[in-house]
Amino acid sequence: MDFDLLLGVGRFLLATTLLLLLTVPTAFIIIQMEMKIIAQMNLRFGPNRIGPRGIFQSTIHGFKVLAKEDTVPDQADRSTFTLAPWMVYMAAAMSMLVIPFAPGAIAADLNIGIVYFFAVLGLSVVGLLVAGWASYNKYSLLGGLRSAAQMVSYEIPLTLSIVGAVVLAGTLSFSELIAWQLEHGWLLVWQPIGLGIFYVSSLAEVNRTPFDMVEADSELVAGPFTEYSGMRFGFFFFAEYVALFIMSGILVSLFFGGWLAPWPFPAQLGGFGGTLYGAFWFFLKTYIFVFIAVWLRATLPRVRVDQLMGMAWKVLLPLALVNLFITAIAVVVFDL
Amino acid sequence: MEHLRRPWPAAHALGRRRALTAPVAAGALVRLLAERLEVDLRHLWTDEDTVEYQVDAARAHDVLRTLRDDEDLAFFMLADAGAVDYGTGERFEVVYHLFSWKHPSWLRIRARVDRADPRVPTITDLWEGAMFHEREMYDMMGIVFEGNRDLRRIYMSPDYRSFPHRKDFVLPDDAADSAAAGVLPLERPETWDLTRFNQAPDVTFPPSDLREDAPAEAVEDGETLGDKSRPR
Amino acid sequence: MTKIDPETRIPDPIELDRIEEDRLRAVAGLAPMRSPGGEYAGFDQVGIPDRPPQTEREREIYAIEEGEMLINMGPQHPSTHGVMRLLVKVRGEIVVDIDPVLGYLHRGIEKLCENATYTTVLTYVDPMDYLSTMHNEHAPAIAFEKLYGVRPPKRAEYIRALVVELNRVFSHGLMMGFLALDMGGLTPILYAFINRDEIVDLLSAISGQRMLFNFFRVGGVNFDTNDEFLSRLGTWRSNVMKNIEMNERMITDNEIFRARTIDMGTLSGQDAISLGVTGPNLRASGVPFDVRRAHPYSIYNELEFDVITQPGGDSYARYLQRIAEIKQSIHLIDQIIDKMPHGPVQAQVPGIIRPKPGRAYAAIESPRGLYSVYAISDGGPNPYRFRMRDPSFISLQAMPKLMPGRLVADTMAIMASLDPVMGGVDK
Repeated sequence: MDFDLLLGVGRFLLATTLLLLLTVPTAFIIIQMEMKIIAQMNLRFGPNRIGPRGIFQSTIHGFKVLAKEDTVPDQADRSTFTLAPWMVYMAAAMSMLVIPFAPGAIAADLNIGIVYFFAVLGLSVVGLLVAGWASYNKYSLLGGLRSAAQMVSYEIPLTLSIVGAVVLAGTLSFSELIAWQLEHGWLLVWQPIGLGIFYVSSLAEVNRTPFDMVEADSELVAGPFTEYSGMRFGFFFFAEYVALFIMSGILVSLFFGGWLAPWPFPAQLGGFGGTLYGAFWFFLKTYIFVFIAVWLRATLPRVRVDQLMGMAWKVLLPLALVNLFITAIAVVVFDL
Repeated sequence: MEHLRRPWPAAHALGRRRALTAPVAAGALVRLLAERLEVDLRHLWTDEDTVEYQVDAARAHDVLRTLRDDEDLAFFMLADAGAVDYGTGERFEVVYHLFSWKHPSWLRIRARVDRADPRVPTITDLWEGAMFHEREMYDMMGIVFEGNRDLRRIYMSPDYRSFPHRKDFVLPDDAADSAAAGVLPLERPETWDLTRFNQAPDVTFPPSDLREDAPAEAVEDGETLGDKSRPR
Repeated sequence: MTKIDPETRIPDPIELDRIEEDRLRAVAGLAPMRSPGGEYAGFDQVGIPDRPPQTEREREIYAIEEGEMLINMGPQHPSTHGVMRLLVKVRGEIVVDIDPVLGYLHRGIEKLCENATYTTVLTYVDPMDYLSTMHNEHAPAIAFEKLYGVRPPKRAEYIRALVVELNRVFSHGLMMGFLALDMGGLTPILYAFINRDEIVDLLSAISGQRMLFNFFRVGGVNFDTNDEFLSRLGTWRSNVMKNIEMNERMITDNEIFRARTIDMGTLSGQDAISLGVTGPNLRASGVPFDVRRAHPYSIYNELEFDVITQPGGDSYARYLQRIAEIKQSIHLIDQIIDKMPHGPVQAQVPGIIRPKPGRAYAAIESPRGLYSVYAISDGGPNPYRFRMRDPSFISLQAMPKLMPGRLVADTMAIMASLDPVMGGVDK
């Protein structure tokens, strides 16, 4: 047996296991953050009974979700009903494979990492559609369709906004992109428009406020997740927060230097200490953006569905194309 | 306490006419109304802030139209439309309160409605907002507004048969004993088509030891199916 | 889990009823009662009742064309302002028609008051429009004083105006919060409740209650101001302008909020008058009708204030109108505190009054509009007829006029801008 191959497979398995184990605490932490931060912004306490200052509330939520009764509608298609939360969760988990946590700590350092990431992210749309259809409920179906429409519409500006960055850096791999940022400075100064479009589109992709009309549509029904309870719903719930984390992580990697430390700190260190150093900066920056997303949820009202779609197609898409043209022309002219 | 009482008494007997005792501003309105609507309106009372007239139910709509459309009167706002029941054997009254920029007093129009056949022409064509007022008056008093497009019950459920604000409506315990005089088909059980339930069902329920079959009680004609749980 | 064969399992008693009902309907030649959508059971979908429509309007709303469906924004709902059922006919996402079904909170207050003494009536009317309790009591108090022939002392009138304007401040503040909440903004409602809490603590110092104040009496008010009340009032007054401005700044210039309220639910002045809409909704459509100026009551003749209007008539204008009125009310409170005379706070009126037979009508400006009471006395201890005209009840009629053509998501936003309170609607 080829020892390198064995080592590679073993490393991959270890990395995948660690990632899957990472998703649950991440979701717990983000949910806890959301509850407490929104509460503080609302001038109230938030959960403060479970654990000191309420820090175990989220964990107990997780156990509660496990303990709930698992109901399947009588005439629903049981196999697809079960499949839908897996699909959404797998989309999130698979896309975590390419996130650059630290130098040398990427689970799968593909040289087409960016393409892989956006391709896998689209799987969650399928999961939502399947959830809506398999629930045997007209309103879940409509909610699923609406959510799919929103996510698909926003994928286009999302992917177009980073093409400018890709053209500048000349690579589709995350680690090489970060290496480019190490030399030339963070991409946020090179691609400010791209950053703005990417941020807005990423919020819409993850169905966060102000774009959460689909799931917070308590005016009528609860969207595609109506018939789900217990751990099935838990999968959806966790997948949403993990997707938020992933989007923030990608944002940080693409535009804010990934694992690089800002000036005046040394950007990158070597060896194992360097890995920890990079991971620390990566997580710090990612959680800053998660905090901003939670902050937005506490502050902003919801955008209406037609205004949302209008903004995607009529504003973000042309802007992304303009950004791309300018970048391409600049690359050719200035020979970057 | 005399310094706290008003210089003239504010009240008078029900239905009795009184002479004009009010300030000049109200007098102008009274004179104007006497001039324009002498035939229909009977002046009843003038207060420091209200001028009251009585009209017959059939003329109410035209009178209100004149009040709204006439340039000197210009009572553009319907402030309130309510109903009063003066007891069995007496009349109903539909009371409209109107407001105008040109006159400082509220104008109260009391429309006498026959209690046995309470019909009033609707004013929803003059003020759309009268729709809910009229629905409430129908629901609570049973006054039928002819020409109203939507005379349904608004507070009570659509098949409720009594009229709660009437003076002969006894308290909710005995609502079944109140005079049931619904107007819409849903409120009149005699119009319900129950023939389709006359067939015996094929499904027989297993006999239950717990349930005792109570003998059917005979109900005489004209008697309401009231609550027989206590002597009345 | 073992799979239960649907043929052999024991049917639920509820299912037995349904089987029976469907069988009987089939025998009678009627369609089955279950959702006409067939396989897809939408749990909110309303079936058209199989009785003939009772009125023209019912015929109109139950006439379903191709592509339309009836759904309930049912009585249990996070966003209706109390228990109200809205029967909405939608075509996809667009609302075609809307029919409010009321009466879930009907308590029969008018009938109850015919069996209560005049003082008790003032406690029965508290929970009508439970966010503007002082206004609910003010109108009957004025009406009964007209019947009895007593004028409350000047100090009582000033205290009445003070608490009434305080009530208006927090009621309008809550509307701001509800409007933002119905659009998804989580924070302004809590700020509005903090404002309300401060004022309600203030009012509890003077009346002993936090919500249903039971403060007015025929002939005056129940308690005089005390040190606690005045000290809290001072603290409140020094903070309130800053707080209100901070709260409104969060919403007023917010792009998303503006996009969802500007040009939504535009009500013209003429339509508003015809519909009977009064209060801030009417003034936001440009009509300068304020009962405090049009037909002054209490001491409003002695206070200086203008009637504010907004030109728009849309939801944003209604929102701006209420903010302007909050500031105006605070200005009024300043004047009242400035001018308050000394004296007794209640005329000497017996506990059970027996006014001479007569009629009285009293109308006041409540935060929702023109709130009026028509009282008839027959000489006994109880009123012969006690009728209340509630402004939210009449303003609800604007919903079927404003909604058609809008999206479903706007229903709640427009209704929040009209600010109905179901306690008043259902009496």
